[in-house]
Amino acid sequence: MSVLLLRLAGPLQSWGVAARFVRRTTEPAPTKSGVLGMLAGALGRDRGEDLADLAALRFAVRTDQPGTRVRDLQTAHHGDTDKPMPLSERFYLADAVFVAAVEGPDATVDALVAALRAPVHLPYLGRRSCPPSGPVDLGVRAGAGLRSVLEREPWQAAPWYRRRHHAASVSLPVQADAEPEEQPRADLLRDLPLSFDPRHRRYALRGVVSFVVDAPTAEADHDPTAHLNPLEPESD
Amino acid sequence: MVSSRTILDVHILQTVPPSNLNRDDTGSPKSAVYGGIRRARVSSQAWKRATRRAFDGLLDPAELGVRTKKVAELLAARITALGVGLEEAAAWQAAADTITAATGAKVAPPARKAKGDGDDPAPESQYLMFLSSRQLDALAALAAEGLKDSGGLKEFFKGKENKARAREAANTRHSVDIALFGRMVADASDINVDAAAQVAHAISVHAVEIESDYYTAVDDQRNEDEPGAGMIGTVDFNSATLYRYAAVDVDRLRANLGDGLRADEPAAEPVRRAVEAFVEAFVTSIPTGKINTFANQTLPDAVVVKLRSARPVSFAGAFEEAVQAGGDGLTGGHVAGACAALAAYVPEVERAFGAVTEDSWVLRVGERTSALAGLGAEVGLDALVGAVGAAVAKRLAGSAG
Repeated sequence: MSVLLLRLAGPLQSWGVAARFVRRTTEPAPTKSGVLGMLAGALGRDRGEDLADLAALRFAVRTDQPGTRVRDLQTAHHGDTDKPMPLSERFYLADAVFVAAVEGPDATVDALVAALRAPVHLPYLGRRSCPPSGPVDLGVRAGAGLRSVLEREPWQAAPWYRRRHHAASVSLPVQADAEPEEQPRADLLRDLPLSFDPRHRRYALRGVVSFVVDAPTAEADHDPTAHLNPLEPESD
Repeated sequence: MVSSRTILDVHILQTVPPSNLNRDDTGSPKSAVYGGIRRARVSSQAWKRATRRAFDGLLDPAELGVRTKKVAELLAARITALGVGLEEAAAWQAAADTITAATGAKVAPPARKAKGDGDDPAPESQYLMFLSSRQLDALAALAAEGLKDSGGLKEFFKGKENKARAREAANTRHSVDIALFGRMVADASDINVDAAAQVAHAISVHAVEIESDYYTAVDDQRNEDEPGAGMIGTVDFNSATLYRYAAVDVDRLRANLGDGLRADEPAAEPVRRAVEAFVEAFVTSIPTGKINTFANQTLPDAVVVKLRSARPVSFAGAFEEAVQAGGDGLTGGHVAGACAALAAYVPEVERAFGAVTEDSWVLRVGERTSALAGLGAEVGLDALVGAVGAAVAKRLAGSAG
C-alpha cells in the first residue's frame, strides 16, 4: 500500500456534492468524487466505465489554506432560440490550497502518478474553468498510512499566507474516510462515486471523520539567533 | 518520453481601462480573492461567449464539411463501417431514407441514360448539401439503430421522436464551437459533447478596487423652475491588467470534429482551421458588457502560446503575489511588473513540471513587455495564428499512424 499526495490549488476551485440546476454550491474541501473524477479523467476512463478500483481507494484531505467563498452569477441564452435560461449561482473557493491523499495498492498508485504527469483528459479542480496552478502530484509516500502521511507532509499554503505563522508546526484540519470502528460517530457525505455515467450518476454515502493534525511548517529549522553575532568579551 | 499528445496553452496579459466587462447581479464588476488580495475577474463563460461570437466572422462552417449531392454514398460508407452487414444497394437505400428523414430532401438515383453497364447509379440529392464529418457519424449511428428495429428503417423514421433525432443530427450548426466548448443536453445525453477547450476565469495580476461613477441624466424638456436631474444612479467599474488562460486538448478536438471529408486536403484540416480560429478569436475578442459606456476596446499587451505533449501548465502562480506598479523600481506600470513575474516564473515551473517545450511563441507590444522576449519566437498575430496551425497540423499528421 502506498499513498499518493495531491496539491489542489488554484485561483478558483469548486467541489459540489448536492449541487444541481441553478444553485451550484461547493463544499469547504475537495470531495472524494471530485478527486477520483479528476484521477479517472487523467487515466483516460470514459464516464460510463467501471469505477470500482478507484472507489476502493482510501481518501483524506487536509485544508492547508481555507480560502474564501466566491459567488458567481451565470446567465445563458439558448443557442438556437436565444431565449434566456434561468440565472444560476455558482459558488467557488478562491485562494484555497488543499492536500489530498489517496491510498491504495502500489500498482494503482504508480499508475495514477504516471497518469497525472501525462493526463488523457485535461485536469481541473471541480469545474473545467478551474485549472490547477502548479503540479497536482506531490509524489508517492510508501510504507506509511494515510493519516500519518498527512501529519508529516509540510504545510503547502502560499508564502504570503505562511508568513503570518511563525511556529514550527501548524494545526490543520483533516477530513478522512472513517475506519469501520469510527462509523457510528462519523459524519455522512454523499460523495462516494458509484457511476459517473451522464445518464444516471450515482453516489453512495461515505463516513467522514474530522480531526486536526500538527503539520511541520517550512520554518521548522528557522533559528532566530542565526543572524546574531556573538559579542566579543569586553576586556577590562 | 515520446508522446503523440497535443495540448495548446494560450496565456494572455491584457489591460482594460475603467470598464465593467462582466458584472454580477448587483451590477458590480466580478471579483475574486487570490493570494489574499482582491482581484478583478472576468468569468470564464463571459470570455467563452465573446470567443464564440468572434467565430462567426472568422470561420465559415462550410469550410469544415463537404458540399455534395452524393450524400447517400458518403453516408452508406459510414453505415457499413458500423458493421450492419448490408449490401451496397441496400446501404445506399438506407442512407437515402435517413437523409430524407433528417432533411426532408428527396434522395433518388439520377435519371441517366443507361450506357450499357447494368449497375444502377447511387442515389443523389436534388441539390448540393453541406454535411460535416460529425453530422454523418451521428446519422450513421441513428441509421444503424433504425436498421435493428423490427419494423425496418422507414417505419423507424416515421416515429416523431426518431425523426426529430435525425433532424437534430443533421442540423448541428456551428460544429466548431460545440467541439471546442462542449454541449450538454439533459434530455438526450447521447448527443453530449465533451469540451476540448478549457478557459480559466481571467483575474487581474494586481489588487483592484471597485469604483463608482455617479451619474445624472437631465431631462431635455424640463422647465427652468424644475431644477434637478431626471434620473440619478451609479455605475460600478474598475480597471485591470488581466491574466487570461486557455488550454485546448487538440486530440479531443479532433475526435469531436472528425476528419475532413475532402480528398484534396489533409485529414486534419478541420482541426487546423478550428485551432487557428480559436487562437485568433480568443486573443482578439472582448466581452461586450457596458462597452458603449466605457469603450474598452483594447487588445492584449502580450500573448504567449505553447504546444505541449503531456499536460497543460497554467502560469497563474506567477501572479499569486500581487504585482505592484513601480515595484523593484520598474517603470511601465502593472504590465511591466507582470511580464517580469512571468519571465521569472515560466522557466521555473516548466522545469518543475518537466514540461520544457520547443513550440513556443510570443506576441508582445512595446518596450514594457521586453522581459518576455526570451520565452519564445516573437511573431505578429497573423504569423502566430499561421505558425500554431502549421505546428498542430504537423503533429497530427505525424501521429495519424
